[in-house]
Amino acid sequence: MEELLVPFAYDYMRRALMISTLVGAVSGLLSCYVVLKGWSLMGDALSHAIVPGVVLAWIAGIPFAIGAFASGMLAAVVMAALRGRTPLKEDTIIGVVFTGFFGAGLFLLSVFPSDVRLKTIIFGNVLGIADEDIVQMAIIAVVVVAALAVWGRDLMLSLFDPVHLKAIGGSPDMMRLLLLVLLAATAVAGLQAVGAVLVIGMLVTPGATAYLLTDRFGTMAAIASALGAATGLVGAYVSYFLDGSTGGTIVALQAGVFVVVLFFAPRHGILASRRAARQAA
Amino acid sequence: MSAFIEPWTYGFMQQALLVGLMVATLAAILSCFVVLKGWSLMGDAVSHAILPGVVGAYILGIPLVIGAFVAGLSCALASGAIRATSRVKEDAAMGVVFSGMFAVGLIMLSQVRSNVHLSHILFGSILGIEAEDFWQTLVITTVSLLVLAVRGRDLVLFCFDPGQARIVGLHVGRLRLLLLTILSASIVAGVQAVGVILVVALLITPGAIALLLTDRFGRMVMIAVAAACTATFAGIQASFMLDASTAGSIVLALSALFVAALLFSPRHGLLRRRGAVPAPM
Repeated sequence: MEELLVPFAYDYMRRALMISTLVGAVSGLLSCYVVLKGWSLMGDALSHAIVPGVVLAWIAGIPFAIGAFASGMLAAVVMAALRGRTPLKEDTIIGVVFTGFFGAGLFLLSVFPSDVRLKTIIFGNVLGIADEDIVQMAIIAVVVVAALAVWGRDLMLSLFDPVHLKAIGGSPDMMRLLLLVLLAATAVAGLQAVGAVLVIGMLVTPGATAYLLTDRFGTMAAIASALGAATGLVGAYVSYFLDGSTGGTIVALQAGVFVVVLFFAPRHGILASRRAARQAA
Repeated sequence: MSAFIEPWTYGFMQQALLVGLMVATLAAILSCFVVLKGWSLMGDAVSHAILPGVVGAYILGIPLVIGAFVAGLSCALASGAIRATSRVKEDAAMGVVFSGMFAVGLIMLSQVRSNVHLSHILFGSILGIEAEDFWQTLVITTVSLLVLAVRGRDLVLFCFDPGQARIVGLHVGRLRLLLLTILSASIVAGVQAVGVILVVALLITPGAIALLLTDRFGRMVMIAVAAACTATFAGIQASFMLDASTAGSIVLALSALFVAALLFSPRHGLLRRRGAVPAPM
């Protein structure tokens, strides 16, 4: 019994648990919009596009989060500028831009030897998180949640019914930009928690899982953020005993929950659809 | 002048160029299909999903390339199956599956104290290719190119017009599987030789460059291959002279070609003469 409480005795573990829960909740909330918009590649793209900004921030001596966010936003702006002006599909544009940014990051890293560790960027290091990083993440979380509290309805409308949004005086383009900003901010926070590769897991899986469980957006958002928070907490806790990657444990846990829900969801699960098909036959 | 020739007097540089050109050629051809099909996330997904396969193969003592191939292909197939059997869209399904698999791979890796160096798998260094990887790349590239030469026409029809393909008696499901198989094989070969990020870029950007310059598939393939090979050559040369990351340099060279095509393409270029009529796609 006592052994199960050991993780809580360490300061760095308490911090990791807190951060993972927080990032899990915020990215879980955002994942609903990502899944409904079909933007899974965007979450991945922004988390990779951050890298050159991190390196340049180190060279310029400014806070990591600012460089990362600026770099992510620049990538988003480039993608938005190319959209509709070429025969290329949106996924192609996203792919070209993010690999270019990541390549530039690798190049800068190799040319300007710095303290920036590629491994930390790619795999995250929630166990070695500094106090100022926690403050940054808390600010990001508060800003994202506040923005969603204010514009969440319009954002949702822009996904389901852009015409209606326009009719009531909103702008789908502004909502697109808002979602990009929120994604870039969350990617910056997620990067430190689980690393660039696994940010996409946290920004997609809870939303996809919730989507299988409900048809109502409010319920979906609640389920996804609860799921993100719970898997963040449990994943970080379990990783202590596995002595393994924290990000890996969190995302693997999320994927596990998704698989269970995929089969057993009451209405949209595979088994339920089979049953329905049989009854109809 | 001799500074430009000097790098190529080294054996390892010649070998790097040879492997780079093989991987670039195969990936560039595939990138034409990827760009037309809207599969940009696929390269990203499969190249990350091979991790648990590599570690699993190491544990079982079978060749790593087999584990990698099985894992990569299962990721592609599982994503397709989830889309077909549930309401989750393909991009979200892919995001869930590949991040989950990568996460499981990370956990497995932390449990086995292996000599599978993660960084070697992820950033595979083109300058330090081992003889085994060289032959592996050669075999996979040759077989894939042969298959593409034989079944290329059917695959093109499958990409442009699956309905028509079905009408003329082609098995669309099988063509999809064939394309995914070649894609997985080329990713496995590419990742070990040149690293994840370069493979992902080579599977998108050359096709995007070519699509900006032509509307005909045959020419598109030739342009894509030429662009990829030029970037590979220039990137390796630059990385030697600047002592910079090879993968990063090649990706940057590729991005530069993309920007040039974007600006100066006769039909779709952003700087094309006013009054020129863009061709409908």
